[in-house]
Amino acid sequence: MIDTPATQLDRTAMLSLYREMLVIRRCEEQLAKGHQAGLIHGACHTYVGEEAVAVGVCAHLRQADAVFSTHRGHGHALAKGVTPRALIAELFGRATGCSQGRGGSMHLFAPEVGMMGTSGIVGPCILQAAGAGYSFKLLGLDQVGVAFFGDGASNNGAFHEGLNLAAIWDLPAVFVCENNMYATEVPFAYASRNTDIADRAVGYGIPGVIVDGNDVLAVYEVAGAAVRRARSGGGPTLIECKTYRTRPHSEGMRDGSYRSVEEIESWKARDPIRQLYATLTAQDLADEQALAAIDAEVQAQVAEAYEFAKNSPYPDGATALDHVFS
Amino acid sequence: MAVALVMPRLGWTMEQGVFLQWLKRDGEQVRPGDLLYTIEGDKAADEIEAFDEGILRIPPDAPAPGTTLQVGALLGYIIQPGELAPFEIDQPPTDQQLAANGAQPAQEAFTDQRQPSEAEQPTKRAASVSPRARRVARELGVAWAELVGSGRTGRIIERDVRAFATQRAPAPADGRLRATPLARRVAEDLGVDLGQLATETPGRRIGRADVVQAASAVSKPATEALTPLTNVRKLTAARLAESARTVVPVTLTTDVDATELVRLRKQIASDLSASGLLVPTYNDLMLKLVAVALGEHPALNASYTDAGIVQHAEAHIGIAVDAERGLLVPVVRDVGRKSLRQIAAESARLIEEVRAGTVRASDLRGGTFSLSNLGMYQIDAFTPVVNLPECAILGIGRIQARPVVIDEEAETVAVRRMMALSLTFDHRAVDGGPAARFLNRVREFVARPFLWLTH
Amino acid sequence: MRELTYTAAAREGLDEEMARDSRIFVVGEGIGVRGGNFNTTLGLYEKYGPLRLCDTPISERGFVGLCTGAAMTGTRPVVDFMFVDFILDALGELFNQTAKIQYMSSGRLTMPIVLRGCIGIGGSAATHHSGSYYSIFANIPGLRVVVPTTPFDAKGLLKTAIRSDDPVLFLEHKSLMNTKGPVPEEEYCLPFGQAAIARTGTDLTVVALALMVRKTLEVAEQLASEGISVEVIDPRTIAPLDIQTILASVHKTGRLLIVDETFGPCGIGAEIAAQVMELAFDDLDAPVRRLNGSHTPTPYSPTLEAAVVPGPPAIARAIRELLAE
Repeated sequence: MIDTPATQLDRTAMLSLYREMLVIRRCEEQLAKGHQAGLIHGACHTYVGEEAVAVGVCAHLRQADAVFSTHRGHGHALAKGVTPRALIAELFGRATGCSQGRGGSMHLFAPEVGMMGTSGIVGPCILQAAGAGYSFKLLGLDQVGVAFFGDGASNNGAFHEGLNLAAIWDLPAVFVCENNMYATEVPFAYASRNTDIADRAVGYGIPGVIVDGNDVLAVYEVAGAAVRRARSGGGPTLIECKTYRTRPHSEGMRDGSYRSVEEIESWKARDPIRQLYATLTAQDLADEQALAAIDAEVQAQVAEAYEFAKNSPYPDGATALDHVFS
Repeated sequence: MAVALVMPRLGWTMEQGVFLQWLKRDGEQVRPGDLLYTIEGDKAADEIEAFDEGILRIPPDAPAPGTTLQVGALLGYIIQPGELAPFEIDQPPTDQQLAANGAQPAQEAFTDQRQPSEAEQPTKRAASVSPRARRVARELGVAWAELVGSGRTGRIIERDVRAFATQRAPAPADGRLRATPLARRVAEDLGVDLGQLATETPGRRIGRADVVQAASAVSKPATEALTPLTNVRKLTAARLAESARTVVPVTLTTDVDATELVRLRKQIASDLSASGLLVPTYNDLMLKLVAVALGEHPALNASYTDAGIVQHAEAHIGIAVDAERGLLVPVVRDVGRKSLRQIAAESARLIEEVRAGTVRASDLRGGTFSLSNLGMYQIDAFTPVVNLPECAILGIGRIQARPVVIDEEAETVAVRRMMALSLTFDHRAVDGGPAARFLNRVREFVARPFLWLTH
Repeated sequence: MRELTYTAAAREGLDEEMARDSRIFVVGEGIGVRGGNFNTTLGLYEKYGPLRLCDTPISERGFVGLCTGAAMTGTRPVVDFMFVDFILDALGELFNQTAKIQYMSSGRLTMPIVLRGCIGIGGSAATHHSGSYYSIFANIPGLRVVVPTTPFDAKGLLKTAIRSDDPVLFLEHKSLMNTKGPVPEEEYCLPFGQAAIARTGTDLTVVALALMVRKTLEVAEQLASEGISVEVIDPRTIAPLDIQTILASVHKTGRLLIVDETFGPCGIGAEIAAQVMELAFDDLDAPVRRLNGSHTPTPYSPTLEAAVVPGPPAIARAIRELLAE
C-alpha cells in the first residue's frame, strides 16, 4: 500500500485502513474509560475523530521512517506500529508499556518501529522531524521524518524555524498539521487571522496542501505525494488536515464552555470511520457482516490489551535512576 | 457481560462527586454516545455519555439524586438482552473481619510522680573548634576543651591541638595511641586526657572502663559519675516517656476539708486499738472513697484506645510505693466491692511485698486508676503523671491544720484539717467538666465520709 | 613538545574525529565557508563539504531541536553557538528534549550531540556576550558540562565529547582561546570527571574554573615567594565532577577556596562547598570560602567590567583571609 495511488487501492488495502482506524478508535475509548476508572495517571488526550490523519499518512511509511508526535499522539503511535497492549500498559504506568512506564501518554517511545516520541511540549516534534530528515540526507538513506502537530503549534517558533530549515536544506520531511480548530479551548480563529495554515508554506517556498482530515482516502492521496516527494529529494511538504476531535481536549475536562453541542454533532456526522464504512458498502467492497466482524475482532483485541495492561506489574522504583546517561 | 456504571473520575484530583439524576430510565435501550446521567464533579454539572450499547439497569438501592459518592461508586449497569443484572442474581455475602475489641493490653503498671526536676548542671562549653581540630584531637588523645584557640574567632584549630600534643608527655612507645573507639568517645565526653592515661597503661589498649575509672579518680569538679540504668529505672523512664508522648494531661487541684476524715480515722483507730487489728491508713480510706466516686463517675475509670474508650467494669486502683528498687505501683483489685478492713489488709500486704522485693508481677498489672500520696513529704498540690493505659491519677497532699473561713456570711474562721488533692486526667479520654465533677465528689466524700460509708 | 593555541588544539581534535566518523557534522552561524567567528572550524569546509559544515540562519531553537532529532536518528551533530549566550533561545529544546530523551526512551535512544560555544567575561563584550551559565547546565540531569582550561585539555576533552553518546556542553572561555600550551602529536582523549592538579601545595586548596585557573596560578606563584604554598585544582569537567581529587586535597590542607567568575548564588562553587562539607567535614580547619564574580549583568566599560570579575588582587586577598581563619 505504501506507494499505491489512492485510486488504485484494492479492497484489502481499504479494509486495512478501516481496521487501523478502528484500532485507534476502540483503544481511545478504552483509554477514556480507563481514565475515568482512575487507571491512567495524569493527562490523556484522545484522538477520537482524527483517526483518518494518522492512518492515511502512516500507510505510506516504512518501519525505518521516523515519526515525531505531540501530546495527542496515541493515534500516531498505533498507526506507526505500537501495539494496543504497549500503548495501554504505558498509560497505566506499567513496566510493559512502550516506554516502560517512564513516559505515559505524552512521552511514548518505540524507536524499534520508528515511533520517536510524543511530547508534552508543543513544537519540538517539528524540529526533530527535520533533524531526522537531515540524518537521512547525510547518511544517504531514502527514509523520511514526519511530524504530527496541531493548529496550536503553527504559531510556535519551532514551526517557523523548523519549516524554514527543512526548506532551505531540502530535507526529506513531511509536516502534518491536524487543524482541529481548537488549541485546548482557544479557537484557532482567535489565534490566527488566516485560519488556513497551509498558506504559510508559501512563505518558506515549500508546497502546502489542505485536505479533508476526515476522509482517509483523501489524506492517503495527499500524504502519498508528500512522502514520495521527500523520498526523491524534493524536499518537505506542509499538509494541513482539516479535522475535529469529538472528545474534550483532555479526558475529564469539560467540553461545553467553548464549543457548542451542535458543532460537535455536525462533526460526529462526518465521522471518518463511518465515512469509509459508507464508501466500502456503497462500492460493494465489503458488507455489514464483514465490517462488523472486523470491529468485533478489534474490540476483542483491545479488550485483551486492556486486561493485559491492568494485570501488568508496575516498574520497580529502583530503576528510576537508570538511563540518565548512556 | 454486564458493564458497571460508576462515579467517573473527571478531574485528576477528583475524589468525590454528587450524583444528580438519571437521564434514561431503568430498562431503556442505550447506545454509545447517549447521555446517561448527570453528576457534579469538581466544577459544575456534567452529563456523562455511555460508552456501550445495551439496556440500562438501575439497582433498587442505587444512589438517590443528590447523594455524594466516592469516585468508583456503583451507579448501575448496562446489560445485554437476555442477561440478568448482577443485583438480580443471588450473591454470597462477602466476609468481614471483626474489628479487634479493645481488650486492655497487659502492661506493667509502673508509674511515677513528677518530681520537681533538679536544675541541670550546665556542661562546660568550650570555645568553637574546627571539625578538623576535633578529629586530630581525637586521634592524638588531646582534650581540646581546655585549649586556647588561635583561629580568627578564637576558634581552636588543628595547629593548636598539634602544638599542645607535642609539648605534652611523649606518646607511648609504640607510637600510636591504642584505645577503643568507645573509650575515645567517653574520654572526650568526660574530659579525660587519653595521652596521659596511655602513659599510665603502657602496652595495652585503653578501654571504656579505664577511662571511667580515670575520670572518677581525678578530683575535677566538673566530672559527673556514671550510674548504669537499672531495669526499674529503664522501665519507669520508658513508661513516663510514653505517657508524656501520648497523654494530654490536665491537672485539677482542690483544697479539701479533711477534718471529718481525720476524725473518722481516729475513731476507727481507737476502736481497733484493743483488738490489735490493722488500722486503715489514710490511703486506705482514700482508696475506698475513690472507688465509690468512680462508681458514680465511670468516665474516670476508663482507657483511651484508638479503637474507642474502654470502660472498665471494676475499679482496680494502684498505689504508688516508694521502694529502694525504685517506684512501683501495686494494684488493689476490685476496691469497690471490698470492705475497708479488706482493703487495709491487702494494701499492707502489697506494700510489704514491694519493700521486701517479693511483689508478684501480676500485682503490678491491671490497674484502672492510680493513687499517689506525697503527704508524708509535706507536699501540697503536685502534678502526678497519668499511668497508661489508665486515664486519670489522683495525687494526695499532706493534711495540714490551717485557719479556714467556715462561714462566709458571719465571717468566722476556724482551724480545719486541710488536704490538697491533685487530679491529673487524660484530656483525650475525659473532658474538664466530668473530671472536675469527679474531683468535686471526691472532695465531698473526704469532707463528709458518711456519704460513702453508707454507700 | 609543540605548542598550539587553545582554538587550534580544539580544531585539531574536531578534524581528527570528523575524519574517523562520517556521521559527525557541524552546524552553526558562520561555521561553513567562513570557518567560524573564532576559527573553530577553519579549513574544515574545504575538507568535508557543506553537508557536514552547515551554515545556519539565526534559529538557535530551530537548529538545536533539529540536531536533537538528528542525534536520535543515527548522526552525531556538533552545534557551534559562537557565543554560548545564544543557547538561551534554545533552552526549551535543550532541557525538555535533548537532556531527557535517553531517560524517556529508557536508553533505547542515545543523544550524541555536542553543544559548544565561548563563555566568559573579557574584552568588554558586555552583557549579551559574556555569560557562562555552566552552573545551570550542571544542575540538569542528562547533560555533561565541560570547561577546559588549557589547549591540552581542550583537544582531549573535545574528542571525548564528540565520542560520547550523551549531550555535552563544551564551553571555551573567550580569553583562553588564544593562549598557547603544549599538545602532544600522538592522538589522545581525556576522560570526563578527572580534575587536574594544576599546582601542588600544602597550606590551602583553591578550586578554580576556566580563566580563573590561570589567574589563581599567577597569584600562587607570587605567594610562594612569601612562603605560602597553594594547591590549585582545575576540575575541567563540572558534570561529572571529580570530587575525590578535591576531597584528597582538602584532607591534606584543611582549607578550601573556590574561585569562579560566574555568579555565586546556586553556583558550582556552592555545590562543591556543600559536597566538601558533607564528605570531609572533619577535614576542615576553616569554613569553605567562595570568591565569585559579582551577581550582576556584565557591564561594558573596562573599569566596570574589571570590577565585576575577580582579578589577582582579589584572589590573593581571599587566600590570605582564608589562611587567617
